[in-house]
Amino acid sequence: MPEVTVKNLAKTFGDNSVLRDVTFTIEDGEFFTLLGASGCGKSTTLNCIAGLEQPTEGSIAVGGRTFVDAAAGVFLPPEERNLGMVFQSYALWPHMTIAKNLALPLTIRKVPKDQQRTLIHDALDKVGLAALAGRYPHQLSGGQQQRVALARALVYSPTVLLLDEPLSNLDAKLREQARAWLKRLQEELGITTVYVTHDQDEALALSDRIAVMEGGNMIQIGTPHEIYERPAAPAVAAFVGRCNFLTGKVVGLDGTRHDVRLDANGEVVRVDSERRVGAGESVTVAVRPERLEVLASAETPAGVNHLSTEVVTSSYVGSRYEYDVRLGDRVVQVLSGNGGLAGEVALVFEPGNALLYADRVELPEDQRDLLTVAR
Amino acid sequence: MSTLTQPPRAPRTPGTPAGASPAEPFAPPRYRRPLGIGRDTVVQYAVLAFLAVLVLAPIVPTLYQSIRNRPLYEAGGAFTLSGYTDLFTKAGFGEVALNTLLFASLTTVLSLAIAIPMAIVVVRTKLPGGRLIALAMQWPFFISSLILGFGWIIMYGPAGFVSVKVQQVLGSVPWNLYSIPGMALTEAVALAPIAYVFCANALRQSDASLESAAQVCGAGPFRILAQVIVPLLRPPIVYSAILVFSVSIETLSVPLLYGQPVDIDVFSTFLYHNGLQSVDPDYTMLGAASTVILVVTLSLVAVQAKLLKDAARFVSVRGKVTRPRKLDLGWLKWVSIAFIWLYVVVGALIPIAGLVMRSFTLVFTPLQSPFRTVTTKNYELVFDSDNYVQSLWNSLIVAGVGSVVVSVLAVFAVMVARRSTFRWGRAVEYLALIPQSLPGIIIGIGFFWAFALAPFGTGSVLQGTVYAVIIAFGMRALPSAFGSVAPAIMQIGGELDNAARVSGADWLMTFFRVLRALVTPAFAGALVLTFVIMLKEYSPAVFLSSADNNILGTTMLSLWTQGRAGSVAALATLQIGITAVFVALAGLLMKGKHHA
Repeated sequence: MPEVTVKNLAKTFGDNSVLRDVTFTIEDGEFFTLLGASGCGKSTTLNCIAGLEQPTEGSIAVGGRTFVDAAAGVFLPPEERNLGMVFQSYALWPHMTIAKNLALPLTIRKVPKDQQRTLIHDALDKVGLAALAGRYPHQLSGGQQQRVALARALVYSPTVLLLDEPLSNLDAKLREQARAWLKRLQEELGITTVYVTHDQDEALALSDRIAVMEGGNMIQIGTPHEIYERPAAPAVAAFVGRCNFLTGKVVGLDGTRHDVRLDANGEVVRVDSERRVGAGESVTVAVRPERLEVLASAETPAGVNHLSTEVVTSSYVGSRYEYDVRLGDRVVQVLSGNGGLAGEVALVFEPGNALLYADRVELPEDQRDLLTVAR
Repeated sequence: MSTLTQPPRAPRTPGTPAGASPAEPFAPPRYRRPLGIGRDTVVQYAVLAFLAVLVLAPIVPTLYQSIRNRPLYEAGGAFTLSGYTDLFTKAGFGEVALNTLLFASLTTVLSLAIAIPMAIVVVRTKLPGGRLIALAMQWPFFISSLILGFGWIIMYGPAGFVSVKVQQVLGSVPWNLYSIPGMALTEAVALAPIAYVFCANALRQSDASLESAAQVCGAGPFRILAQVIVPLLRPPIVYSAILVFSVSIETLSVPLLYGQPVDIDVFSTFLYHNGLQSVDPDYTMLGAASTVILVVTLSLVAVQAKLLKDAARFVSVRGKVTRPRKLDLGWLKWVSIAFIWLYVVVGALIPIAGLVMRSFTLVFTPLQSPFRTVTTKNYELVFDSDNYVQSLWNSLIVAGVGSVVVSVLAVFAVMVARRSTFRWGRAVEYLALIPQSLPGIIIGIGFFWAFALAPFGTGSVLQGTVYAVIIAFGMRALPSAFGSVAPAIMQIGGELDNAARVSGADWLMTFFRVLRALVTPAFAGALVLTFVIMLKEYSPAVFLSSADNNILGTTMLSLWTQGRAGSVAALATLQIGITAVFVALAGLLMKGKHHA
């Protein structure tokens, strides 16, 4: 069974370390996504699996076959790994027709001509392009090219399918449709898939599991639900979905219940967290905008956190309202169903809806400037 | 942001893939690797080894000869340093070095003085006929500096057409072509287009908004020129200065033609006279001189490489869509136009026209109308002599066979250097580019000695044949071929290779199945370029020539020394004609291909 095992993978270019001690296992038939900003090492990881790059340390095995093992000096070149890969630019060979593009990997595998024809037809049929076999790549639209690239990667029944941001060159509307289509196809084929993207929506919608990467490290591996609801680190919370970060100090502790005095305006909020942080320590409270609510000041329910704020801007974004509210010297973003609020409002959230991280999270300078307001 | 999250899917039961996918596993491709060495590696090492042998073949024997007291082809030599001591004490090498320095410096200054203003006004100002000028600046591609030298002498030499005319009018000729300034002027005219191309490309690529910014700040066109454009030109100026300097150090043609009658020697003519024209050549001293010159040219390249890291090594126009706004110089533009056309007409057109006229006349002087002696006799003389016809054929064979071989080699070198994970890829690139800095005449001498040393008698098989000339010329043309192929191949996206690799093709199959078709235009371009270069080339051949392997250049040179200017002019005209026809045909052919 093609189970992908990656152990202690590391890659350095000179002094520059782009991948540090990455370990994970992908199960048979799983849709596994490597998610992260550009330069986080996700493409390097994928290229190491494909054999296009050679890791400095660590090992990769697929279905019990060792692809690379730096310690043992084993390196299987890409052509002998029997993987399928779709590239960001699709990489269709421009001087060959669609059929010829699909035929090349089969010819290399010495598949007889008549069998090739059926296989090519089946593969193109699967992506709905059987009629276009005689065309050249430049005669197809971007979406069609992307499907041909997928057909070419699947036509020889590879053990694992590698996808390197295959949807990023499509325009927004098409991308959503292609996403749904890709997911159906993958479920239908049941092929183990490794997907690389910087688009969190894509990752959440498509994946069985997501690995979030940052600065060459894998910071969390989990189901989309886990990644979104219980991000292991502030960086994950910030990258997947939006998140407000409020720094403060723990002033009271009772079981999982933490009382935190916020730096922004000195008020105390209550946060439920499994993560135990001792009293007196600096912490960061993270709350997603949609888990916050703004209410006209009078009507505050009991048992929830309640902060007094003031609306800075409000905008209607279709189906909801987006508020920027001032909390002390900070701007907090809120997504709310309540429209038409202005002036003094109560910012409300449940203790269980906030996340607690040890230490103060330092935002990048440009973000910090944008989120700071004069009192 | 409303991101819907779903609980993870229920795990699929293994072994029951949904859908009707025929999961027939094909055997993944296997490539044989005896002793762990695949054929990719073999080919890559072969390219490296071939280039190393090719480049070192002329260099190592030269160094070795410089410390042996007997010629390499004779047995029983011993170690000596007398070559170096003789060089500076007896042979007057100091004066030669001084001449060379003077000549090269003057050439550099003059060619920059022509090229820089021209590049600025053509690229950056509104100039009528700018495109035509840019086209005209490509003339040295068709005309070798040897032929240009003939043309200049025929027109501006002591007995030249123009000189005689001026003498009639003024009573004396205010210039002397047979002098170091004369040589430098001719060489500068020939090399100015190189500097022009560098500066013009840099100007085209520089950001037009820098000028717009200056304009918005209130700067007029002249202030913009002086304070924005010219300072930005410093890197290409420095680079082309070094290039022109090193080319003029190694050039043989003009110094040989102009210096011989008045005994002015520079590096290259020193080697020529001591190696070829003395009855009993002192090979040890010749080796020492070659070594010294090699050290000079190689260190110039080192300086060049240091100044210019990597990127701009190739003269290539990188496509940039934004067109810089052109400045208006007012009345000064007419001055610039006059200056440019003076350069083109006096520098190239008149000498070449004179050469063509000379080839069709018996006597060519203003004292008598040239039309009175119009004749085809010069051509008849050429075509009647088997030797001359042979040298014409040899030139075509050398250029034809050589351009194919060199272009193939260049494509492979680029593939190994730029499109493989070969650990010595950089070395391959450097080896392919080194011949750029080897003077042609030293390549000739070096191969001459290399054939003497070559094992298994391979040397004597090659010595004096047309193959020897192909090898030497091919090596000279390799850097240009590499430089023209590399950018073209780098434009082909690397993901195309990767897609083929992942699909199951090894490096070699990737090249033959996928890239070969895409590389064809680059290959064709290199073919045309190397054909023209090898047709014009001659300096390595002067040491390798025999009665059988004379080429156009060496034949013209020997005819010139015999004083048969008419035949020289005929051969030169033929060479220019062949080049022009070839380039025109190639252009048509490639254009046709492009549309298909």
